[in-house]
Amino acid sequence: MSTATAAGPASKAGTAAARQAAATTRRRLAVVGVVIVAALGFLVYKGLTSAIVFFKTASEAVANRAQLGNSTFQLEGTVVRGTVHHLGGSRVAFEIRQGGASIHIVNTGEPPQLFRPGLPVVVVGHFVGSGDNFASDQIMVKHSQQYIAAHPNRVRSTGAKKTAAGR
Amino acid sequence: MSRNRLVRLVGALGLVGVIATYWLGLFVTPNAKLFGSLVRLLYIHPSMAWVAFVAYGMAFCSSLLYLWPRTRHARFDRLAGASAEVGVVFTGLTLVTGSIWGRTTWGVWWTWDPLLTTTALLFVLYLGYLALRRVPGDPEVVARRSAIAALIAFVDVPVVYFSVTWWRSLHQPPTVDLAGRHLYVHGIMAFTLFLSFVSFTLVYAWLTAHRYRLAALSEREEDEGLDLALEERRAEGVLA
Repeated sequence: MSTATAAGPASKAGTAAARQAAATTRRRLAVVGVVIVAALGFLVYKGLTSAIVFFKTASEAVANRAQLGNSTFQLEGTVVRGTVHHLGGSRVAFEIRQGGASIHIVNTGEPPQLFRPGLPVVVVGHFVGSGDNFASDQIMVKHSQQYIAAHPNRVRSTGAKKTAAGR
Repeated sequence: MSRNRLVRLVGALGLVGVIATYWLGLFVTPNAKLFGSLVRLLYIHPSMAWVAFVAYGMAFCSSLLYLWPRTRHARFDRLAGASAEVGVVFTGLTLVTGSIWGRTTWGVWWTWDPLLTTTALLFVLYLGYLALRRVPGDPEVVARRSAIAALIAFVDVPVVYFSVTWWRSLHQPPTVDLAGRHLYVHGIMAFTLFLSFVSFTLVYAWLTAHRYRLAALSEREEDEGLDLALEERRAEGVLA
């Protein structure tokens, strides 16, 4: 009898604690949910807007020249052979071509290691004035998924030379 | 063969495979045209992404098995959690190795390209999944909630894989084209690439098996700890 009366308030306290624990759980879930949704929203927004809206090929850029104005976007085209000139102050000028359209680029900053004529690049920048001159501050080199061995024999011989020199 | 010995064998094979990949990748395979020795990242980066996909695929399947009433068992919940955890590690490695490769070939550490963005999304999604698993509650409720979350998060996996074909992208299509069954690399380079896939998959299996065992042990500890506490409480009652 005495145990039963003692158990009464104890179990009530127990359910109150359980309810509080459940509320804490729900609050934590909500916080986790909000953080995840915010992070995902940010990623999707950043990624898809810049990837789809602000990515033009050279021919699209020329076709939408008036609409693009002087806004910043990513521009894709292949570096034309014989057009690459290094200007002073780590600036480089070249021409890109794609789908019959060509655009003159002046990039501020050193181009990446792989940059060379004949390879497609994506430059980030904007048109200057009203012509087909484009000022960029970033060059990204596109490459294919193919990897072809270069001089397989020479690699073997240099490897042999290296070990011989090492000893 | 006992389960323990099998796990040990998988671990040993994985280790040998990774060492062989390292040796072939750094010393035996040739430089590539255009890329020079940068091509050697090919033996690391794609296999990291592959393992992440395998890990999330495993988490997806075991979550499905958990949700299906006839196959519902706590072990599928544990397996999903273990596999996703290893998957998050490999997604992180994918992002890091990809960033290094991107800096050397494209010229940038990061760009908001569809493939890169959806991979970052994958990382955050599964981090969220792991966080959700740790939100306390009734074990069955937690397991069901986690299983549903794993199914939702998996939606991003095919999006990552096909992003390079769906959207305009800086990233090149995969060198190992699973859908078109074509391989864009040959000879010893292709062999090393495949070896890296196999070795890191074995490493994944080994890590997941250990993580699974750890989860099972900690669950047992919790159960037995509770039993022990109850017993002690009863003993106190008897004494009083």
